[in-house]
Amino acid sequence: MTAEGQRRRAFWQILLFSAGLLVLTVISAGSVYLVNKARDDSKWVVHTIEVENQLNTLLLEVRRAESGARGFLLTQGPDFLSDHEKAIAAIVPALDKLTRQIGDNPAQRDSIEKLSAAIETRLDQFSREMNFVRQGEPGNAVALIREAAAGNTTTTIGNLANAMIREEERLFRLRSANADRSQTLAASMTGIGSGLVVLLAGISIWLVRRSARARDEAETRLRDANLNLEATVEARTADLREANDEIQRFAYIVSHDLRSPLVNIMGFTSELEELGGDIFRRIGGLTHAATGGPPPAAGEIALEGPDQQLSTDFAEALGFIKSSIAKMDRLISAILNLTREGRREFQPERIDTRELIEAIVSTLAHQAAEAQAEIHIEPLPDLVSDRLALEQIFSNLIDNGIKYLKNGVPGAIRIRGRTKLGYAIFEISDNGRGIDARDHQRIFDLFRRAGTQDKPGQGIGLAHVRALVRRLGGTMSVSSELNTGSTFTITLPINWNASNRNADK
Amino acid sequence: MTLPVSIIMIEDDEGHARLIERNIRRSGVNNEIISFKNGTDAMKHLFGADGSGLVQKGNALLILLDLNLPDMTGIDILKQIKENKYLKASPVVVLTTTDDSQEIKRCYELGCNVYITKPVNYENFANAIRQLGLFFSVIQVPPAAS
Repeated sequence: MTAEGQRRRAFWQILLFSAGLLVLTVISAGSVYLVNKARDDSKWVVHTIEVENQLNTLLLEVRRAESGARGFLLTQGPDFLSDHEKAIAAIVPALDKLTRQIGDNPAQRDSIEKLSAAIETRLDQFSREMNFVRQGEPGNAVALIREAAAGNTTTTIGNLANAMIREEERLFRLRSANADRSQTLAASMTGIGSGLVVLLAGISIWLVRRSARARDEAETRLRDANLNLEATVEARTADLREANDEIQRFAYIVSHDLRSPLVNIMGFTSELEELGGDIFRRIGGLTHAATGGPPPAAGEIALEGPDQQLSTDFAEALGFIKSSIAKMDRLISAILNLTREGRREFQPERIDTRELIEAIVSTLAHQAAEAQAEIHIEPLPDLVSDRLALEQIFSNLIDNGIKYLKNGVPGAIRIRGRTKLGYAIFEISDNGRGIDARDHQRIFDLFRRAGTQDKPGQGIGLAHVRALVRRLGGTMSVSSELNTGSTFTITLPINWNASNRNADK
Repeated sequence: MTLPVSIIMIEDDEGHARLIERNIRRSGVNNEIISFKNGTDAMKHLFGADGSGLVQKGNALLILLDLNLPDMTGIDILKQIKENKYLKASPVVVLTTTDDSQEIKRCYELGCNVYITKPVNYENFANAIRQLGLFFSVIQVPPAAS
């Protein structure tokens, strides 16, 4: 799976999530709005019903007052009078209430004004009728009733009220429809929204499952890759080990086989030297015999002039050959020793580092005294490692320190130690001649040396030391400046166990 | 010495053979030296055509052996000599360039009498051979009989 694909998938998931959230928000807001609207609409519906109701109540009271008045007129019974008076008393509050309720509707306001006027006229007629009746003039009252009937006041009231009721009914229908629409809208909105959310959730689940599957596949592949990697590393390590062994064998065989002809070269060179001696001795003898001088003493070569020169040249040539052979032999021996060292099995053991270094220092005491060098050993950490290898490492470095001091300056060689994260760090520093920065790498190469070549050596020591340090699982470095001294730093594991490197051998 | 001792030299390098011979002569040893340049010829001479070693019965031999031979290793030859009933009493001097301590140990375990490393330094080489001559003159070489 590519990184690009992963990013795209994540992007889609976030997008889906956002869309879901958005839909939910819209549904919530819409629902709240629509529910509010529906409630409003319902309130208006209820209001309409109430208004209608109130109108009917008003009409009823007016009719009651009228029938009460007529009853009283006919019978003059006090029951009808009190009934009439109760109705009259109820009419005004009912009318007031209706006026309040209807206040929002301008169309109805006109009607209510007319209705109020009509009702007022009728109330006035009622009170006059009642007065006539009480004063014992029923004839006037009847006339008044007729007049009222002719004036059609009651009908007017009824008509007006009916018109208003019709208007309210119209409003009722309208508002009911509105309320229905709001509710339908809310329902459909919730429905569609829920559907959308479910759809988005479905897509999300599908995406998540797909990425989970992809992840599982990736994990499987990773596991396989790891296994492969381990196998590959093992194979490579085996190859390297083989190559290393091959090199070791090669170095060993080559250095051996080089030695064989070297024995011949050296042997016959020595034979030649002897032959040369014999020849020149003979020439000397013959020359002397010819000149008649006294015979030379046995074993002495008495030559003159060009013969002397020949002998010297001959000896010089042989001298160069022999010294070169000796040098070659030393190099071959060094390679042999290194390969032999490379094959040696290391034995880890607990080592008292101070004791080990003191022993080395005591073996080097003679050289140190000759070079006027003092060796200071500071507290050192103990470690588990190979004793012989450590001895070689430290004795090489201390020996180097003594060897490459500045002429005429008393030497001070210091060995310091500390521990850090499971490693022991040793520093061997001197105040000697130092090493030029560009030679810092070179001095660790086999057969390479740096600085003034006034001391015997093959250029093997540091190469050997570094090889040993590496085999012990450590590292080594140098910091030095010309004429101010050098510090060699060795980092070794405190607990070296044979399994990690010896197993390679 | 009732019988003249023969020196069998098995050495593939002619130069080495010549140097060894010269130095043996210089040390005053005048015994017959029979040289072989490879293991096969030497084995044929030592063990005869039938490989039993019967041909050498009653001969006094001293064997100078190089370990690095072109056709077989000196170790094999040493082993077979020391396992043969006619030859096992003959002294064997291993003379080789190998100075590996494992190798030396192995040779002594197999019954070699002297192990000499050929030094490149000729002086040491000559000394070693001359001392070997001295060794020849004092050693009692038993005939390969019985």
